[in-house]
Amino acid sequence: MWRKQNDAKPSPEPASKAPEQPVTPVPVKPQPAPTPVAAVPPPAPAKPPAAPAAPAFSAPVTKNVVTHDTSGPSSIAPGLKIRGELSGSSDLYIDGEAQGKIALPDSRVTIGPNGRVQADIEAREIIIEGTVEGNLKARESVRLGSSSKVQGSVLTPRIGIDDGAKLRGKVEMTRAGESKGPATAEKPAPPAAVYKAAAASSESESSKR
Amino acid sequence: MNWMAKTRPGAAAPAIAPTSKPGPASASANTNLKVRTSNGLKEFLWLMSDVPHARVLDLGPVWQATVNFFLEKGYRISTDDLLGTWKEFVSGEEERLRAAPLTSEGYSARLTASALADKFLENALQYPEDSFHGVLGWDLFDYFDPAVSSRIMDRLFGILHPGGAVLALFHSRAPERFHRYRIIDTQTVELVAAPTLAVHARVFQNREILELFAKFRSSKTFVGRDQVREGLFLK
Repeated sequence: MWRKQNDAKPSPEPASKAPEQPVTPVPVKPQPAPTPVAAVPPPAPAKPPAAPAAPAFSAPVTKNVVTHDTSGPSSIAPGLKIRGELSGSSDLYIDGEAQGKIALPDSRVTIGPNGRVQADIEAREIIIEGTVEGNLKARESVRLGSSSKVQGSVLTPRIGIDDGAKLRGKVEMTRAGESKGPATAEKPAPPAAVYKAAAASSESESSKR
Repeated sequence: MNWMAKTRPGAAAPAIAPTSKPGPASASANTNLKVRTSNGLKEFLWLMSDVPHARVLDLGPVWQATVNFFLEKGYRISTDDLLGTWKEFVSGEEERLRAAPLTSEGYSARLTASALADKFLENALQYPEDSFHGVLGWDLFDYFDPAVSSRIMDRLFGILHPGGAVLALFHSRAPERFHRYRIIDTQTVELVAAPTLAVHARVFQNREILELFAKFRSSKTFVGRDQVREGLFLK
């Protein structure tokens, strides 16, 4: 006991090992708001004394930290409704409801299984697991998951469709990176496209009996 | 037609005796993967081969294989799962009727099949005239009431481009399982077993098929080894 008290001072070892990594910032006051935590760089690893502070870093807080990271996707959670035009450069995850227009040409837009969207979506990559009423236009790819339900046209250079996906609309290919006009509703077919069928049909085996 | 007659003439004896009976389907014995050779599809594709960026409407569910198949050919493919939409619509109507107050006679006002069809078509198959060069109808018409079928046919006729074709399949007896169809190649279709969406409503006789497609300019039919009749109808 005695020794311990004395040792603490002179011994150079501990000082060099962990230069008293100045306190974990939060432990003193348990803060409900996660924001300041996000601003602080991650503390030096392996600082056992920080253990008592653990409750301050409980799981939910860490989660919040992630959402505040500007490089992560923005999200519209279940139960949230948004109406209007969404634009920008962040990836977007929608598991709530959205109406209007979504234009994120350099980002990934994901519609989660609970997501219900009534909007045209323009993005680099579109992933659908929920319900969308609107046209999809992707610069790179569109993926329709097995629980997806889409009503509208799809314009993309690549498409992935899982079994069980529901699509009511047309699929049209573009070249990668090609920017065609916005995906639109069905247009009439080009006029006077005559089939060789027209000629052939007259000789067809069993014309109307 | 005797399928044995189709064996190569030079062959003295079949190298491998068929391990299972050839019929009732040209579909393979493997229950997980049933495929059938479709002359109707082959002809359907031939009809459209001269049309640049032909527009095709698939009235079955959307499949990656089918979509890829058409996209690789440079076609534009639209899908509209008509039977699925119909089922949703009918369920919705039944729900509505259940919730509706009874009439003075004690019955709720149930719609007739044709009225139901008209209501259904207010929202279904809403495409401009002459939109498509080809429609894949598969065996849908076997599952609809005649009154509904004829109205759907009228609508299909309208959205089909002059010279366009409809490919339809008709069973010669009620199929054992409900299947959806996806295209494997120009002449092969895979039958994908699916939960029953609708009860098989009727077996069409030849005359009835021609009546159903009476507005079409010509027709051509093929009967497969599985006794499924394929019809190609030109507008």
